[in-house]
Amino acid sequence: MLLKFAVRNILKRPFLNLVKVVGLSLGLIGVLFISLFLKNEMSYDGFHKKADHIFRLTTTNPEMLDNNHFARIYNSEQVPDLVNQIPEIEKFVRLAPIRGGLVLHGEQYYSITEAFSCDNTFFEIFDAELLRGDRSSVLTNPGTMVVSESFARKVFGNSNPIDQIISLPAGQFNSEKADFTIIGVMRDFPQNSHFHPDFIISPGKDKIEGWAYTYLLLGQNANVPIITSSLSQLMTERSGNEADSKETKAYLQNIKEIHLSSHLLREIELNGNMANIYALSIAALILLFISISNYASLNLAMAGFFKKFIALNQVLGSSKLVNLKYFMIESLVVVLLAIAIMAVLVGKINDIILDYYQIDLLLGNEMFALGIVLVFGFMAVISGLQPAIKNRIGQFKLGRSLREKGNTNSHKRILIAQYSLTMILLMVVIIISRQTEFALDHSMDSEDKNIICIESVHSDIQKEFKVFKSELLKQNAIVSVSAMLDPPGGETHDMFSFEMEGRPNDKENTKSIGVFPCDYSLANLFELTFLSGVNFSEKNTDNDGAGEYIINETALHYLGFHNPNEVVDKEFKIVSPVEGVDLPDGKIIGVVKDFHLSGVQTKVEPLVMFKREDSWLPNIVVSYRPQMERIALDDIQKIWSGLFPKYPLSYEHVNTMYRKVYKTELLQAKLLTLFTMISLFICSMGLLGISLLIAQRKVKEISIRKVNGAKISQIIVMLNKDFLKWVAIAFLFATPVAYYAMYMWLQGFAYKINLSWWVFALAGGITLLITLMTVSWQSWKAATANPSDALRID
Amino acid sequence: MLLQLNNIFKWVQSGGQRIFLLKDINFEVEEGEFISVMGPSGSGKSTLLNVIGMLDDFNEGEYSFLDEPVHQLKEKHRANLYKQYIGFVFQAYHLIDELTVYENLEMPLLYKKISGSERKAMVADMLDRFNIVGKKDLFPTQLSGGQQQLVGVARALISKPKLILADEPTGNLNSKQGEEIMDLFKQLNEEGVTIIQVTHSEKNAEYGERIIHLLDGRKVGG
Repeated sequence: MLLKFAVRNILKRPFLNLVKVVGLSLGLIGVLFISLFLKNEMSYDGFHKKADHIFRLTTTNPEMLDNNHFARIYNSEQVPDLVNQIPEIEKFVRLAPIRGGLVLHGEQYYSITEAFSCDNTFFEIFDAELLRGDRSSVLTNPGTMVVSESFARKVFGNSNPIDQIISLPAGQFNSEKADFTIIGVMRDFPQNSHFHPDFIISPGKDKIEGWAYTYLLLGQNANVPIITSSLSQLMTERSGNEADSKETKAYLQNIKEIHLSSHLLREIELNGNMANIYALSIAALILLFISISNYASLNLAMAGFFKKFIALNQVLGSSKLVNLKYFMIESLVVVLLAIAIMAVLVGKINDIILDYYQIDLLLGNEMFALGIVLVFGFMAVISGLQPAIKNRIGQFKLGRSLREKGNTNSHKRILIAQYSLTMILLMVVIIISRQTEFALDHSMDSEDKNIICIESVHSDIQKEFKVFKSELLKQNAIVSVSAMLDPPGGETHDMFSFEMEGRPNDKENTKSIGVFPCDYSLANLFELTFLSGVNFSEKNTDNDGAGEYIINETALHYLGFHNPNEVVDKEFKIVSPVEGVDLPDGKIIGVVKDFHLSGVQTKVEPLVMFKREDSWLPNIVVSYRPQMERIALDDIQKIWSGLFPKYPLSYEHVNTMYRKVYKTELLQAKLLTLFTMISLFICSMGLLGISLLIAQRKVKEISIRKVNGAKISQIIVMLNKDFLKWVAIAFLFATPVAYYAMYMWLQGFAYKINLSWWVFALAGGITLLITLMTVSWQSWKAATANPSDALRID
Repeated sequence: MLLQLNNIFKWVQSGGQRIFLLKDINFEVEEGEFISVMGPSGSGKSTLLNVIGMLDDFNEGEYSFLDEPVHQLKEKHRANLYKQYIGFVFQAYHLIDELTVYENLEMPLLYKKISGSERKAMVADMLDRFNIVGKKDLFPTQLSGGQQQLVGVARALISKPKLILADEPTGNLNSKQGEEIMDLFKQLNEEGVTIIQVTHSEKNAEYGERIIHLLDGRKVGG
């Protein structure tokens, strides 16, 4: 009977109960998907059975590479010897990335995103499932290759890839063509792996040298700090440095920590970010709090409807347990409805996420999801018992029940807390969005988004760049074509020694400077601003003595100057570290304003730009007339296919490349916007419910005031005043918290927006406006009702 | 003897002053009596009824019900006592709007250890007796005031109490409906149920064998 009673009660107030159900289900959906996403982020590389014992070795050395910390090591050839000297290291595998981005099968080139040349211990350390081929022997012979399932499908369709030949073409990275025989097919690495090779090859013993990602399998009882320090010591000895000179430092990082905690240079793939995890966890907690407290406060406010029922129960001799039981049943019905709505939507949302991010969050996580739903449901049911637990209504007396004054204190507190949190979210969202906007505005293609980049082209193509460029420039739709060493959004890491006349004395110890080889048209294409001097002359080769160098503003200061005009025409020379490549002596001819090749997280490096021809220009950039995008892209494809038929063309908008650099921030902004909207929605719904109840409670007061001559506007002011007060208090709580959080967050950027006061005012204003609109709807209805109706009822 | 009140005082504290709701009330009720309590508004009639019904505490005095000292009993014991022996009828009926007539009647039985089939029989019996079988699936709002009060009385009777406490049972009814309810009380009384009713109406008070007059919380006659 209690169930029937509960259902009838719920149906009797469809709006209020809908608010409860929708609020809970939105909260549940949010919390569920955040939890699933977090679990996925935390589960990276855990699928390797030996994951706890797999460590990645990295090093730094003050004498090498500016002490920069790379995710791979540059002297991987010494790893076998090192490992031999430390018995606790059971096995190692080195993954030397295959560069160039292209492979050849027959006459056709195929692009690859990730592939490694590796030791034959690969399958002993990593748990990659072999679909074809023998696990123990698969990489033992040099010249063999194991391809991933999806790569096999891309190249061979449904036919059998085993024993087929795939070649690495000759070019910039390989002196001659090298053939590999496919002897195995492995299942694609799962999405929660920090690398996903298209294929791996076995180059043969001692063939791996230079740059390689290095993973060590440690023994069961290995002591990581001790191994780390012995590695440091052994490597320092081998580097041949004097005992008193600086040492090589080794680092071991567990494979499971790489995805979230590793932000070294040249990671295999873009890793996740602990900050995102925190942001999302906090968002989930806020959402959880808002949706549950919203439910609790509505339930508490609606408890008045049950006064009669509860008082009667008492008169008829029920124990208090019956009240508890009733609220339990009602709560259960509401929560089950919310879960049902969630269940209907969950599959669809998962499909959308799968479409966009290729992550199937539900797969294999059914029990986890069920657990989240149960915990959430349990919390919701318990919070729904508030009226019974608080026992306030346990003391309702029949005669007095109608006179009982409602207590709005507890919703007041809950509302203030909800609004504080929502306002914090809102402020955070506005600031993150503004900072990402600021960052994108400072990228190299901020205006028209009409530049594409063809990344890392083959050296054959670099040689033909001149032809490609002149063909492109004949097209009406193309504005400008240039090329450069590092891609937009990338990092500049090459530093060469230089010589320069007339530098201030105190700066003489700086010997090297970041270099940026490019085509002469680069400054034009990216519309760089000249602070002094002139642009390159329109050719890419200069006679010795007439070399042209352009520096950026940071380099100006780095070299010890202040006035851009001072440095122009000073003699300047770059010492090429590469044999056979000579750079002409010459002068600094211009100074450009700093441009942000990398993200605004990092400071702009001192850079000197100089011209090159035929090589060191792997990134081709093309700008086109914005309204002619389609035609321009067709032209590029046509000319490319004509000139380089064997090579697949792949390009990306420069704007998109920068969006990738700010992927984390953009994702944060997007997700937080979503959660803020949900929070605002739930809050407003809850507020609507509360205002409805308050208006109902004050029906008599409103009527009496009207009978005594109050105007509608006065009544509305009376009803809205309290809500305004609560929003104001919430604003006072929210502002300092948001300010502090965002101040800390902005520390991660070298270039950032100011935290201006109006952002906070705006967030407060938006909340206030939404509150007023929500509340006024009820207030208007209450204020315009005919007072005689209300007074007659009494 | 069904119940006995000795020197009952009840007061509330207001602005540092004691306001007496009941002052030195003494009386006895024998089983089978039909008593009317009368008095102007605020004289303490309803309070007295609530004290007798054990819904309200009192501050001083002694109250024994079937020789049990109510003022010394624990809450639970007291609840058992009134659950078993007392039925209430209200001026505003106090039926639950979301429950049907049938369910409203069943409600008191749910709090006693009575099996489902037995409950069914008892409710059916009541419906039959009050001639409302045809209305068992209707909700209170679909009934007239007189019919609602009929259900209210039926609900009070369903657990076969010794005593019925009625707080202005006809206050919201027209005279014809009121008369029907009073006739019903009369009839119940003749069947042996003790009835104490609070009323404003001289005419209804006449149904009782004895009238207790209250004024400002004090018993002034009867």
